[in-house]
Amino acid sequence: MIPEYIIRAILASITVSVLLGLLSPIINMKGLAFLTHATFHSLLFGAVLGMVFGLILENLSLVMVVALIVTIIVVVLIAELEKKGFSSDSAVGIVASFVAGLTVLSFGVLYKVMATRPYFPLSEDIVSYLTGEIFLITLNDLLTLVIGGMVAFFIMLLLYRDFLYLSFDPEGLESYGGNSRAYLMILYVLVGGVGALIVKTVGLITLQVVAVLPGAIALMMSSDIRKILGVSLFLTLGVELSSVVLAYFTSIPPSGLATIMLGVIYGALLFRR
Amino acid sequence: MNAVEAENLTVLYGEQPALEGLTFNVEEGETMLLLGPNGAGKTTLLRTIAAFHGEYSGKLLVFGEPPYKARDIISYVPQSHSLNERVPLTAIEVVAMGSIYRGSFLHFRIPTSAMNKAKEVLGFVGLAGRENRLFRELSGGQKQRVLLARALMSDPRLLLLDEPLSALDPSARVEVTAVLSKIKRERGLTMIITTHDINPLLEIGDRVMLINKRLIEFGKPEEVLRDDVVKSVYGPLARAVKVEGKLFCITGDAHIYHRREDM
Repeated sequence: MIPEYIIRAILASITVSVLLGLLSPIINMKGLAFLTHATFHSLLFGAVLGMVFGLILENLSLVMVVALIVTIIVVVLIAELEKKGFSSDSAVGIVASFVAGLTVLSFGVLYKVMATRPYFPLSEDIVSYLTGEIFLITLNDLLTLVIGGMVAFFIMLLLYRDFLYLSFDPEGLESYGGNSRAYLMILYVLVGGVGALIVKTVGLITLQVVAVLPGAIALMMSSDIRKILGVSLFLTLGVELSSVVLAYFTSIPPSGLATIMLGVIYGALLFRR
Repeated sequence: MNAVEAENLTVLYGEQPALEGLTFNVEEGETMLLLGPNGAGKTTLLRTIAAFHGEYSGKLLVFGEPPYKARDIISYVPQSHSLNERVPLTAIEVVAMGSIYRGSFLHFRIPTSAMNKAKEVLGFVGLAGRENRLFRELSGGQKQRVLLARALMSDPRLLLLDEPLSALDPSARVEVTAVLSKIKRERGLTMIITTHDINPLLEIGDRVMLINKRLIEFGKPEEVLRDDVVKSVYGPLARAVKVEGKLFCITGDAHIYHRREDM
């Protein structure tokens, strides 16, 4: 019989794969890798802040909520700076450096709060946000992931063509009556929201790679948008599921395995070129 | 009726003026060629008329309305190199983009009516049969024609074209100019075209406006493209000459600008 935690891990992998498989090509086409990087790092600040609140209020489910709120604030800030005329890279750089500083400060606060509650298993939680602990996700985590994932999936599905047009020619979209800023804001919030949803599963350290490489590989393999999406989805799914299976037998963290597999595939394709 | 009317139009980038005190008008159905050296403010002027720059001083009206109120009747054609060709859109998808955004936000599928119209407009610009080719795989001239088709999708009254001939080889320039000429002839649209390569466009230009942040000259091509004016803008090696009844402007880098007198 398959242990329940493996079933949870497989279901989480499928949800993560669908979300990242769809989002990854857009991240590549819109050139959002740097933004994704900064956004996902802001998740760490959100998670640490969430732990501080979680400890004080003795409710650790606050971690994901606070991480999500912080990430959304960060992407909105980046979008606002872009609106004021900063280039995307500058906006990300300004906000990311601010967030990095706040993260270090919040760790200091967290250690102080932890010292007052020595029996809380928090150190494990911090590690799970950094490296991803797909075998440790609870039923509640899975439910949040699936429900949140479905919302993100339907938003992506409904607006996918608009995101393509936004990536192709934002000024043209604006000039023909579309609202580029609204689409961009929704896309940024989606990137941040999906990151917050899956961070505990994939881990902050590897999240960037898993969010960027499937799309990059798919774009190298095809010029047809349907095939690109198909390759990205199946690649993410294949890598995520096989890393769970390998991790079960080898006790190596699955997120590390997934990242290495994607890196090898990407590198092999580059060499073949 | 004036399609565009500007009086003392000034646009600032920070504290630096990009345009200073421009006064001009473009009549309905007219094609105006906007000339000037790099950094003269040509693109800024187009983008201000297209309502991309909300902040300006002076008067600017498009068919009697401020630009932001006239957006539905303006089509802006950007320089094709400003597009992100990593996005694998087909020609017909790019063209359809021109009509689906008025009054709707979600576009899971492109409506059949928009696809049919896009097909028809692609035929108008001479690209029938290439609907499903990827935009990035088209030649420079074909890409420009796809962008023109997209601009026509919303049935605009004013077409703003930013360097439609830039980075095109001579035959592609002829292709694009022929389409512009067809648009002028068959649809009677008002067009404002910025260009460094006035050579083929003089055949369709009714008036020429020469700017360098400020208005330098404005009038019919033969009035504006005088030897002294051309030298003052393009440098001492530039010349305006008439050969066999045609007006030519020769710049130092041997670009030839001409206009047939018989047009």
